Amino acid sequence: MPLAHLEIGGIARCLAQVAERPRDHVDAFFEVVAERRVTGVAGALGAELRIERGLAVRLLRDGHTWLASSDEISPQLLARTIARVARARPGAVVPPPRSLAAAAIEAAAGAELEAFTAAVEEAVQRRHAAFPILWDVRCHERWTRVVGAMLSPGQQRERFFSCAARMPWGSWGAVLQRLDAAAAESVAESLTTAFRAQRAPAPAAGPTCLVLAPAATAVLLHEAVAHALETDTLGLSGDPETTVGVRLASDVVDVVDNPAGAGETVRREVDDEGMPVIRRWLLRAGRVDQPLADLFVASRSSRLAPGAARRGNRHLAPVPRSTHLELLPGAVGREELIVSCGDGLLVTEFSNGTLDPLSGDLRLEFPYARRLEAGQPAGLVGPGTVRGSVGSTLAAVRAVAADARPAGAGWCAKGGHRLPVWATACSVLLESVEVAS
Amino acid sequence: MIAREAPQHVIDRLRSDGHAMAEVLVKEGRTRRCELSPQGPISVLTAESGWAVRAGGPRGSFFVAGTGAPPLGADWPQSGAVGLQLPEPQPAPEWRPGPGIEAPLMVEGEASGLVAALGRELARQVQGARVLRVILDDGSSETYVANSRGIGVGYRSRLAMLHVEAVVGAQSATRTTLQLAAREARAFHPLAVAQQLANVLVVRGAEPGPGRERGEMIVGPRVGARLLAAWSPLWLGRAASARARALADRHDRIGSSRLTVVDDGRLPGGALEAPVDGEGVATRRVVIVENGRYRQPLVDWREADPPRLRASGCLRRPSWRDGPRPGPSHLHILPDETVSATELVASVARGFYLLDVVGPVRSDLESGRFAVQVCGFGLAHGQASRPIGSAWLCGGVGSFLRGIRGVARDLAFIPHGGMIGAPTLLVRGLELRREP
Repeated sequence: MPLAHLEIGGIARCLAQVAERPRDHVDAFFEVVAERRVTGVAGALGAELRIERGLAVRLLRDGHTWLASSDEISPQLLARTIARVARARPGAVVPPPRSLAAAAIEAAAGAELEAFTAAVEEAVQRRHAAFPILWDVRCHERWTRVVGAMLSPGQQRERFFSCAARMPWGSWGAVLQRLDAAAAESVAESLTTAFRAQRAPAPAAGPTCLVLAPAATAVLLHEAVAHALETDTLGLSGDPETTVGVRLASDVVDVVDNPAGAGETVRREVDDEGMPVIRRWLLRAGRVDQPLADLFVASRSSRLAPGAARRGNRHLAPVPRSTHLELLPGAVGREELIVSCGDGLLVTEFSNGTLDPLSGDLRLEFPYARRLEAGQPAGLVGPGTVRGSVGSTLAAVRAVAADARPAGAGWCAKGGHRLPVWATACSVLLESVEVAS
Repeated sequence: MIAREAPQHVIDRLRSDGHAMAEVLVKEGRTRRCELSPQGPISVLTAESGWAVRAGGPRGSFFVAGTGAPPLGADWPQSGAVGLQLPEPQPAPEWRPGPGIEAPLMVEGEASGLVAALGRELARQVQGARVLRVILDDGSSETYVANSRGIGVGYRSRLAMLHVEAVVGAQSATRTTLQLAAREARAFHPLAVAQQLANVLVVRGAEPGPGRERGEMIVGPRVGARLLAAWSPLWLGRAASARARALADRHDRIGSSRLTVVDDGRLPGGALEAPVDGEGVATRRVVIVENGRYRQPLVDWREADPPRLRASGCLRRPSWRDGPRPGPSHLHILPDETVSATELVASVARGFYLLDVVGPVRSDLESGRFAVQVCGFGLAHGQASRPIGSAWLCGGVGSFLRGIRGVARDLAFIPHGGMIGAPTLLVRGLELRREP
């Protein structure tokens, strides 16, 4: 645990020099990152390792943010970084703590990553398919610790994997909590189905009934709910507080952001501002309850709570983002959803999603889907797009299944912050949404 | 100033540990960022310092990168299965850093003043227009790369980037995004930037273009540059020649006699100007297409086959975190210094002026077809006749390149995986449609 033994008192005293005014907020953000990577063809993979250490000091004053960041962690760097943020030379300079070293870390070995590529390719062969794959598999580890002038929560740690595959006919990617046999089977299933869908007919365009599997639901929730309720997005068109109580989805939709409920290796106790995370009701029976807010917005509001701040790295100021979305399960089984859909599409995964924050236009791309005919799965169809507004798409949710499970994790790169996002989602039935091929 | 002894000690240590090849890259830099966003104004000062080591031999190698100074006595990881080759030093023309390399970074007040002025200018030029988000980065860096074959070269760089999102209209219905790069942030003039944004915002609010219409196309620099970038498989890598020749006509011409495409890593004043690439191989000017005839693609030294196919020094490493990857530096269509954009526009009896792209370029080099959504104006007798909010420019890649009838002198670059540039072009043989 590289950041467990920072001299907190000394750091806090140094930071206090910068906070000259009563409403100033100042904090120091310490970060250690280790990334192990294998790339290329299975059996002949290249090996890469990256280890970073750094810190940042931030001052929030009267709606303005000043941030200074450095690579490496040392008392001298902390002192210089504080001096870059300070708005005035302090009357008396507090020396930095004598000891400020991040302990050494042992990065993950590459053997696990290499074995995963082999496991996936074997699983693809068991499905009677074969195609060349260029792999990019990584183990990501990140330790962070926020020290404020008055608070200092413990160190946070995240460990997860990313897997990208490039084939002659396209590319595919996923973020995973572990590289076990189940993950290998799941990746192989996605790749093989996408391969077979190359020859499949295009989906019929027009209003369509959709059943989304949990992984696809997770992407819908991320784009249509989480991004729509981030206070920096809401701030583009007005006061984020005014959205509380607004109906955004049908009344079967209850969505929570619960960073403490994520998988064991990625759950959080505090956010990237050091504020305790909360189980935040984004939508309660389809109505906005508590948007995703950070200190910048919450400090100006009597209704919004902080605890949703994330930062892609130490060189970026925090922004409000979701961490682990949960769709509260319904009472029906997934098979019941499929039967009640009748004729439509079963979408297992979305490969990409975008939300236009000003117009509310939503676009979700799927690499393949399965036709539903009279409530029964039928043949594959090729890539397509679901289009609509956030409101119309979420209003189309008619039923939520009981099959809640971790699914649909991925990368979010909004605003230059590249962050993993997690979800526990269920299958859902959407009535009459626009599909294009 | 980067100390050069430490990288050499690391190389010596790696060689003594049995690695046949070793390379060390060290990079230090500072960046000032001024951002205006819904989170309020944000001022950032970043000090970066990192290194990367590649070592191994023909049968295996590793890549390790980290912050701070390269470690002298590290436990290096096991090699992977991919072999490593490194270049030898070659004689190269002398390079002198151009003006502005040593210019100091903008101070905070200067940067925030530029951002504020941009917003004011835009509001003045288009009623109701506002800036949603601005990110201004002004940075300088020093890089040193050395390898076990004798390469040891250091150089300074200076790069500024501007990203602006602007909107106008009820519920911000019309919007545009502009990205610019220059050697230093002082090169971004609020009036000129606001004018570019205003021009696009005004036309983007107009009705869509014709159902289907041919005519002479005045292709603005931003449209030309985006198309050039989308067709990078024609310019980059050994296989590019075959792809390009597949598009050639029966006279073996890929483009008109007005078309010359060049990449130049040493372009004087260029945002990415540097004496060497990410492996320490000298950069140079490469003529890819000359007067419509394909000459050679950009190739790194591994793919080179001199004297016919010479290495280009085209392996880029945007950060110390990145391994070297082939890519252009300043890829552009050569301008004609004797022709102004106004003259080209005035020569059009009936056609269109394409100002900017609205979405990604769709391009299939196998079929040779492309389509891109654009905005601009109709033209009649050299005058703007009506604004076009959006339309699809469609046609053949070869038809576009061979259809270039005029090239102006207003070369402008956009940041797009390297700096990609084009002047205003007059092109015949294309079509505008409402749908692709």
